[in-house]
Amino acid sequence: MAFFSDALAHTAITGVALGLLGESAVELWLGLALPPGIPSGLLILWCLGAAWVMASLFESARWRPDTVMAFCFTGSVAFGVLVLGKLGRYGFLEETLFGDINANSWGDVAVLGVVTVSAAIVLGRRLREFLLILLDEDLALADGIPVRRFNRILVLLVAAVVAIALKLLGALLVSALLVIPAAAARLVAPNLRLLLVFAGIGGFLGSVGGVVLSFYLDLATGPTIVLTQLALLLIALGLQPLLRGRSRSQSRGSIEATDSQSIWPSSESR
Amino acid sequence: MGQEDARGPEGESDRADISARRASGRPLLLRTAGIAAGYGEETAFEEVSLEVYGREVVSLIGPNGAGKTTLLRCLAGILPLRQGRVEKAPGLRMSYLPQRLVFDRLLPVTVAEFLSLRLGRPFFRPAWPEGERVESLDELGVTSLLDRRLGELSGGELQRVLVAAALAKRPQLLLLDEPATGVDLLGAAAFDALLHRLRDRDGLGILMVSHDLHLVHHISDWVYFLNRRILASGPPKEVMREERLAAAYQRFPHPG
Repeated sequence: MAFFSDALAHTAITGVALGLLGESAVELWLGLALPPGIPSGLLILWCLGAAWVMASLFESARWRPDTVMAFCFTGSVAFGVLVLGKLGRYGFLEETLFGDINANSWGDVAVLGVVTVSAAIVLGRRLREFLLILLDEDLALADGIPVRRFNRILVLLVAAVVAIALKLLGALLVSALLVIPAAAARLVAPNLRLLLVFAGIGGFLGSVGGVVLSFYLDLATGPTIVLTQLALLLIALGLQPLLRGRSRSQSRGSIEATDSQSIWPSSESR
Repeated sequence: MGQEDARGPEGESDRADISARRASGRPLLLRTAGIAAGYGEETAFEEVSLEVYGREVVSLIGPNGAGKTTLLRCLAGILPLRQGRVEKAPGLRMSYLPQRLVFDRLLPVTVAEFLSLRLGRPFFRPAWPEGERVESLDELGVTSLLDRRLGELSGGELQRVLVAAALAKRPQLLLLDEPATGVDLLGAAAFDALLHRLRDRDGLGILMVSHDLHLVHHISDWVYFLNRRILASGPPKEVMREERLAAAYQRFPHPG
């Protein structure tokens, strides 16, 4: 999923370019400016569509998934850059690649909120299914979970989240927000429940912290967020040995304390 | 001989055995009629017709690549059928036990979380509730493993967790894929005892794929010999006569 989110973010360059093209066309022919929020809504639709196409290509088994992603994203970057060049709006390339938090209108913020809340609701309601699939797809299928459908839903969720994070972090950095908080949480979480909680908190703290820091230090927002996330990862890495030692001794204690009724006299209590 | 092989179960087994099995009064749990499945362009097995009754251990034996695991995966609903029909007793509860669990060992999933997920219990409950006992967990010594991570368990412990999870769903039919491979720690005798108890006390039907012909011979009520088709079926003492097995494994060496 890490490379997938990366590839998807890059296809967004074409999405942005086409959005600008559409905007200019509307202005030129109809003399109207698009209301705020519409461009980011369209960008989300673009990402959902690109994700759907890529997921379908993954299943066709004609190519390996990384091959599919490679040609999808290089193709989109190439096409998007050409269109931006023709429109004479290379400035948008930088914004798309690195993000610009100040370029967000209140309409964008509203779209962002709606997408975030809906993604959280879908994930929350279907957490059991997603986690079972994560653990073992065969077992999930045997438990009667329609794995293919859920994988598609997950792909669309990632696409929607990537699309809204693009405005903040840009295509080059977007996958940091998807990957780093989870990686940091995995280092310190004693179980899966806390991993989910820690990843959420880490992502939130890193992003808000990054925004605040970038404001006070007068730095670009996207890169500051990514570096703040990385700092949290390093802290987690430092904490890991301490937590590891404690959970080890705890679990050993609990096994000795339980009078196991095992029918298989096993070696675990030794 | 090719002609006879194609006739399926009845082709080689004694009709008296078959009618005795059908007349035993045990409920029919699952019946397949001429099913086939495979991967890509390969056909793993075809024209498989078999039956599993309650209170019965049925074993699938056959050489490597015979389609045994694929057949079990089909019955578990993991792989779609290409042909034929599977009839199940109405409301049949089935549990499938894979040969091994393929999962990311770095993921900090605890045994309690794994069981909560598989049993459809609320996931964010802080711990397995005190005092709540699930019989199969106690029986398999899994209660003491609840706080351990799945990734730190030994092969035998993991196998016990998987068995316990499968049994906690109170299945009427258990599909076991090579249950004896991970059980080095458990001891074969204990595993036999478990199978016997599940069959005789709980009345489960068990369909099991196994390479362990010794285990199959003494525990099975019925054996199907599969090599892409069912080449023989019957009580183990009939199907597993030495000269017959030797001939079968020789005639059908590892395909491909």
